[in-house]
Amino acid sequence: MIGRFFEQAYLYHKGRSAAFNTEEFVLMQIGYPLITLIFYCLIASYSFRTTDLTRWVIGNAFLLCTNACVFDMGRIFVAERYTGRLRSIIAAPGSKIAVILASGVFPMLFAVCASVSGLVVGTVIFGVSFKGISLLRTAVAILVAMTSASAFGLFVSSFGLVSDSMHLILNIVSYLFMIFTGAEFPVSQLPFFGRVIAQFMPLTKALYAMNMLFEGNTKYFWPCILAEMGTAVVYALLSVAVFYFAEKAAERNGRFDMF
Amino acid sequence: MKLRVLTSTMRVQMKQSFARPMYRFCLLANPILNTIVLYGMYRASGESNFMTYVILGAGLMGLWGCICFSSAGDINRERYSGTLALIFATPAGFQSIVLGKILGNTVLSLLTLVISLTAGVLLFGITPVLEDPVYFLIALAALILSFVVISSVIACILTLSRKTELYMNCIEIPLELLCGFVFPVSLLPSGVRAVSYALSPTYAVELLRMSILGVTDRTLFFEKLAILMGLTVLYALFSILLYRRIDCRVRIAATLEVA
Repeated sequence: MIGRFFEQAYLYHKGRSAAFNTEEFVLMQIGYPLITLIFYCLIASYSFRTTDLTRWVIGNAFLLCTNACVFDMGRIFVAERYTGRLRSIIAAPGSKIAVILASGVFPMLFAVCASVSGLVVGTVIFGVSFKGISLLRTAVAILVAMTSASAFGLFVSSFGLVSDSMHLILNIVSYLFMIFTGAEFPVSQLPFFGRVIAQFMPLTKALYAMNMLFEGNTKYFWPCILAEMGTAVVYALLSVAVFYFAEKAAERNGRFDMF
Repeated sequence: MKLRVLTSTMRVQMKQSFARPMYRFCLLANPILNTIVLYGMYRASGESNFMTYVILGAGLMGLWGCICFSSAGDINRERYSGTLALIFATPAGFQSIVLGKILGNTVLSLLTLVISLTAGVLLFGITPVLEDPVYFLIALAALILSFVVISSVIACILTLSRKTELYMNCIEIPLELLCGFVFPVSLLPSGVRAVSYALSPTYAVELLRMSILGVTDRTLFFEKLAILMGLTVLYALFSILLYRRIDCRVRIAATLEVA
């Protein structure tokens, strides 16, 4: 069972990367996201008139996961429909969520790699110092943040069952990450309803925890990480509920798409 | 005759582009979302004139995004729908059709500048400031010409690749970074700045910014304009050369399905 899960995960990864050679794949998964990080850090250095870019390096390093967690995960159903497997997945007696989760294994690993690379590049180019920073806490924050973003990506992927405009939805979602998570500017700058939305977004709490960690304040680190884990669980449960609903709707209507 | 080919291709292209959800995102949502992100970043900068970096920056990012995901990808779309060989061999001329497509996309994409301005005014109460409208129109015309020629070069290069989707995703942010769409290029290290000044949009962006703030040094304005036009002519010659090489290669290989 577990072996089949990882075999399926590998096959998903192979399917997504087969068209590219190693250099192109690395460029797509790590190189391009890093250029994006540098771009937004440069804007921040000019707009906030600062040389201390720690919070933007952290914020954008975390946002690097959007490529993998949002775009890769979000396109699951579009890809399944395109290759004609949607029927088999919905009609199969096996667990749908296991099949869907399998497709997220490699994107999540790449998301972690991209975020770590982002922090390394930030350290080298923008002089972010890790002196006195607990690497264990940093690792936990990254893992929890990526899990939360992946769960959110899974939830967003379910929109693929009700819409044929996933490119549009996924691109808007990637901007919502930039606006509401506090990665590009403080959440406190948002109006009241924006601050409320920010609390429902993944990454917000993990980013806050990381920023606090770099400021030397560890008091709220674990509560924030727990809250981020809570966000991940909520989105994962929501995804399960939506898939269940989709399955029942497909059985009732005899159709695999709800649009 | 050629003019009729151009105008009819432009008309068809505009309709086809607008029918795609991704293009609608780039045209309508991208400038609004970019305006929100950039305003959030520039709000605390002490900058009083948000026209130069927020409105113009968001509009230009939207415009370039539209070009990347339309003009650059159109060849691939023609290949996908099986019409690439037909338009390549048509007596109307492949170059005329591609130029018509690029012109159609670029003209329609100018809407991003209007949308970012409207979003800035309506959402954040930004006061539109344009000190030298005549110079602005000159700079805008130069920018359009520059983008049309660059799109032509990119479309040319991507004619011979099956990995268009990868490349068109990877050219968006680097050009925005190198050409200083949302921050001055003086912020970049000198080595990178040399690349910036080899790219024509860098001068176009500087000209637009000068005209918004008011042209105090006309000689400098026309110097930059002359360099911009010189580079555009160079790119155009390169594009013509590329088309001839590709035409020759395609006739020898008797196929466009190459990678």
